This record gives sequence, C-alpha cells and structure tokens, in this order.
Amino acid sequence: MKARTLLVPVAALALFSGCTMGAGAPSAVVLDPDAKVSGEITVWSWDVAATALDRLGDEFEAEHPDTTVNVVDVGYDNAYDKLSVGLQAGSGLPDVVTVETDRAPGYINEFPTGLVDLTPVLGDAEADFDPFKWSAQSDADGALKVAPWDSGTVGLFFRADYFDAASVDPSSIETWDDLVAAGETIKAKTGHTLLSADISTGGTFQMLLQQQGIGLFDDAGDITITSPEAVDALTLLQTMNEKGLLKNVKGWDGRVSSAKDGDSAATVEAVWWIGTLQGDAPEHAGTYGVTELPAFEQGGARTSNNGGSGLAVPAQAKNPQLAAAFVDYALADADNQASMMATEGLFPSYLPALQDAYFQEPLEYFGGQPVYELFAEQTASIPAITFTTDNAEASDIVANAVVAAVLNGADPATTLQDAADQIATATGREIAE
Amino acid sequence: MTATSALASVNPATSDAREPAPAGRGPALQRGILRSPVYLALAIASVISILPFAWMVIASTHQTSDLFGTPLPMLPGGELWENLARLQESVNFSRVMFNSLAIAVVYTVFSSIVSIMCGYGLATYRFRGRGVLLGVVLVTMMIPMQVLLVPLFQMMASVGWIDTYQAVILPFLANAFGIFLMRQGFLDFPVSLIEAARIDGANELRTFYRIVLPVARPQIAALVIYTFISQWNAFIWPLLMLNTEDQYTVPVALNTMIGMSRVDYSGLMLGSLLATLPLMLLFLVFQKQFVSGLLGGAVKG
Repeated sequence: MKARTLLVPVAALALFSGCTMGAGAPSAVVLDPDAKVSGEITVWSWDVAATALDRLGDEFEAEHPDTTVNVVDVGYDNAYDKLSVGLQAGSGLPDVVTVETDRAPGYINEFPTGLVDLTPVLGDAEADFDPFKWSAQSDADGALKVAPWDSGTVGLFFRADYFDAASVDPSSIETWDDLVAAGETIKAKTGHTLLSADISTGGTFQMLLQQQGIGLFDDAGDITITSPEAVDALTLLQTMNEKGLLKNVKGWDGRVSSAKDGDSAATVEAVWWIGTLQGDAPEHAGTYGVTELPAFEQGGARTSNNGGSGLAVPAQAKNPQLAAAFVDYALADADNQASMMATEGLFPSYLPALQDAYFQEPLEYFGGQPVYELFAEQTASIPAITFTTDNAEASDIVANAVVAAVLNGADPATTLQDAADQIATATGREIAE
Repeated sequence: MTATSALASVNPATSDAREPAPAGRGPALQRGILRSPVYLALAIASVISILPFAWMVIASTHQTSDLFGTPLPMLPGGELWENLARLQESVNFSRVMFNSLAIAVVYTVFSSIVSIMCGYGLATYRFRGRGVLLGVVLVTMMIPMQVLLVPLFQMMASVGWIDTYQAVILPFLANAFGIFLMRQGFLDFPVSLIEAARIDGANELRTFYRIVLPVARPQIAALVIYTFISQWNAFIWPLLMLNTEDQYTVPVALNTMIGMSRVDYSGLMLGSLLATLPLMLLFLVFQKQFVSGLLGGAVKG
C-alpha cells in the first residue's frame, strides 16, 4: 500500500505536465475598410438577438452577392463558457460573437490579441454611438474591440395608480430627495414600499455610481469607492431602507415576482424591462409610467446604464473582413438598428436610429405614454465610466459592503473605506485621493 | 421492553399461549406506536422530495407569467400543449432528445465495455505494474474537468471534430470511476470459477464472456445506469463541442432557453420533465440489479 500511495502524486505530476497549453496567440488581424467581401461567416448570438441577426443576415446576403451569414443561437449563459475556452485555445470560435457590455472589459483585458480591432471599419461612426458603450467596449489604447449594439438606458418605472392614490405627481420628482419624500407619503397612504431592488448584488449601488459618472476605478485605475459620490449613493440606499421604503428582493426571479405582486411604487430598471413587464406582467397594463431617474443634485445626470451588449470579431475568425462588414451593416445603420427595436425590442446604441418614428409611438401598456422617446433622449447622456481587469473581484467586495451598510446598518463611509482597503490589498491598486 | 411486560401482567390471559393471535397483537401494536414517528418523518421526507417534481409537472402546464403570481398555482393548468409546441419550435426538442439518446446510448455501450474489461483485467490478472496502472487510473479521477477543457478542446479542434458527436463521446470513454467500480466488484469474483473454465479448455475471451459476465450482471447494471446518467446530464463538454442547434443535447438546448431579459420557465420545466423520463425508465428496468450491485461490494468487502 505504501509504495502505491507514493506513486500517485508522481503520476499526477506526469499527467498535469502533459496538459500544458499550447495556445499560440493568433497574429494580429488588421481590417481593410475598403475590401470587397465574399464568402461565409458564422455568428454566435442568443435569444431575440439571434433572431434579429438572422433576419438582417438574409438582407445582407441579398445586398452582397456571394456571401453567406449563418447565425447560431448558442444560448445566453452558454456563450461565455464557449467564448472563454475558444479564446484560450486559440481555435473553435466563429467569425462574430455576441458579448455583453458588462463582460466586454474582462475579455478585452484578458485576451488583448483575442479580438479584432474594429476601429478601421467603425471608427468614423464613433460620435453616433452611445458614448458609454464605446468607451466600455474599447481597450486602453482606444481600439474598439466590441461594437456597441443595444443600450441599457436606465429610467424610473413607477406605478401611476399608487402615485395617484397618494396624490403624488411623478413629474414633480427631480432629485432622489424628492423621491424619498414622495416614498414616505406613498408608504403612509397606500402601505406600499417605494423601491424594489436586489441589494445583495451591489448592482443598484454601482448603477447609482455610474449615474454620477464614476465606476469602481478611475481613468488611472485607482479605486474610487471612497469618493463623496459613492458615500452619497450608499447613504441614499441606507436611508431608504431605514425608512422602510426599500423592498429587498433576490435575483432576477425576485425582481419579476415583486413587479407582479405590486410590492413597490417604483423600480429602477433599464429600457429592456419594458419587454419583461409586457411579457411577464400583462395584468398590470395601464398602471405603469416611466420617468427619468431622479438626479443626485439639481441638473445632474438623470440616467445610467444596466446591461446591453455588442458584437465582436475574434482574431481567429476565418473571414474577419466579411465579419466586420456584417457588424458594420447591422449596427452602424439607422434603419437596421431601428428595425431591431421595432421587431425584436433591442434598444439601439446607435444614436441616429433613435430618431426613428417608432420611438415616438405611444405604448398602450404605459397608458399611452411614448416611453421609448424618454429612453431615446437619455441614451446620449449615459455617463461613461472606466472598467479594469479587477472589476469582477472589486464588485464582490463592494456587494458585501453594500449589504453591510444597507441591510445591517453599518456606517456608509467607514464601510466603503474598509471595502476600498480590501480591494487595494486584493488587487494591488491605489485608492484615489 | 418493560412496557411489553407491563402489558402482559395486566392481562395474564393473553399470555396463556392458548390464543396466539391476541398475544402477538400487544407487542405488534406497541411496535407500531414506537415506529410511528419514524414513519411520520419518512412521510414528510418523501413529500419534501416529491414536491420539486410535482412543481415541475404543475409549472410545465402553465404560462410563465402565471408562475410568478401569488398565490402560486397548485394545480396543473391547461397550457401543456402550447408549452410543448413552443418547446419544439424554439429548440427543436424532438431532434435534441434524439441526439441526447443516441449519444448517451453509444457512450454507455462503449464506455461500459471499456470499464468492464479494464476492471476485470486489473482485478483478476497478476502482472508487473498492476498497482501503478491502477494508481494512474485513479489519479485521473482527481484532475478537475476545468483543467482538461482547453487542451481537450484544442485536440478536438486540431482533428476537426468540433461540432461532431464523436468529439462528445470519445474523450471520456475510459471512465476512471467505472473502471474502479468494476475492479472492486471483480475482486470478489470466485477465482475457482475461472480456473474451472480454464481446465475445461475455455480460452480467456470465452471465460470472460460465458462465465464472468453472466455472474457480474448486478454490478454491470449499476455501471450502465451510472454511465448513462452521467452522459445524459453532461453539460459543459457537449456545450463546448456542439455548435449548431440541431446537434445540441437536451441540457445544452434547455440552457439556450434562458434569455437575457426573459426566461421561459414553463418551457424549461416541461423540457426538464421530459428529460427525466428516459432516466426513470432506465432506473425502473435496472432497479433490482442496481441496488444489489452497489450494495454487493459493501457487504462482502
């Protein structure tokens, strides 16, 4: 028995050394904006996004003879496992992949040569895109790696019937202080909480940070969560909870359930929440309204971002030229972007598309309010923030701090200082002055 | 026990042994009362374990939007056919079921052959390096899947097998746990039976096929169930290998139904429900052998 137990680690070592990776970095692909395209590409996407690209693929083929666009629905969660392994292995990926804005900085930083620089093809249109998307999906040198597709412009969804019952005029709300005051009235008159939010992920807190134009790190890569803006955002959430105005829900299903049950008078959600409400809570048609996010100070930004995605061309693509041409065709075109809004409900990051008549149309679900117009107006004002390779790790630490302050009553400034120290230790970054 | 004797003394007639039936009733009733908390606990446990399954059935017959309302639907609804039609339409479920079955059956057959033969060899033949070989096999069980993903992926990409069934099946044919399970089973195999066969002039293959296999049926049944379930439920590797919707296996296809801003839960529930049917069928068929196969080693060892 003794001899055998000794052998095991040796054998393990032998096996592991056999597994060393041979991923050669693919040589850099430089796109030629004037190249004539032909051949075949495969596109990975998911859900309605895949439906949209499939439809546009057919139109692209009709306009560009000798081209074929194959669109595969690889599923939303699945896509990242496939993408990570494919980038790591240096093979096995298609010509175009879909990447969400939240994930884009991670891939761009982790695989600097993994994705093709799309600037030669799309660079001219930079001014026409949602500025936040463009910066979040470019690398540190300003090379666009993931083309902006749809935006997650944030607004305040509110229950008009609850506001009416409490005689609160939603249009009178301009700042978060106004909203908290309104929330107290609504709570007293109707018994409903003001806001349903998932506190434990820290997502709401980060969204409030972005509203004030700061991320977890600044341009220099220093930690920013000890800033007065961050303390304000956390204090706001804590105040709401202490006044009994916050309904803490768990995860995606919790958010949907809370909306269906009509727990709260308002939720802070992105434009795609419209589709969720219409699909999953049809019984509340006519009771909802949307307004801009309350500002922290008079005149401050009244929106933020939550979600959205883009298209990228892996460096290992067999036909990067055609891939980039298709991305350009689908995303940097007002008509095509507007058609994806009208048909598949994807809210464009391409600003000229937001001029389309579709966005002025009243929505029955919202009592005839043309809600898309509001989001269209706000999209160009989404504050840009900086992402780093350490965002994922910092997000976990920040989430714990948010729970400590909001749910357990810890002092916001102290909690954020502790969290910043933790992030500094974990990542070796400095805390911004 | 004191309670039993107390009962007997109260009514001495019953202990007279002339009427055995009433004499037995006392202790039996006693035992029943003593055991009732156990039965109660078991009943609660079985309700708890059946509840998720019942919910799956209920949820698969409602619209997704009903599943988030309060109160939750407690009875099956009337949306089963709509959900089934949508499931078929959105992920081509019948095709995907067929893929999963084909992959799982082929994998189970070949992986079982490898495991049985390998386990038999390691258990019954004495040869140089047998311990080392066994050690190497066991060590492969300790390598986490994540470490293997990228190298295996590169191997499959370099032979051009991405998006094929053989890429899903082949890399995991030699299954360390299966080999180990078989080896432990064959350790208890009566050597005299093999020797008798040899004396009668049977060659090794014939001995294996005619003498060993029939006797080892229970442990093979256990292996078959285990192998089938592991391949049926496999997710990450089929996900990485299969790139077109019509090639997907059931777990991969069901996962594509989780959308960005909406999740089709009723479709998912129905798909999951249908996906458990082959497993239940398999288990019912092999149930007897399965239990004795897994317990056999435990008692004899």
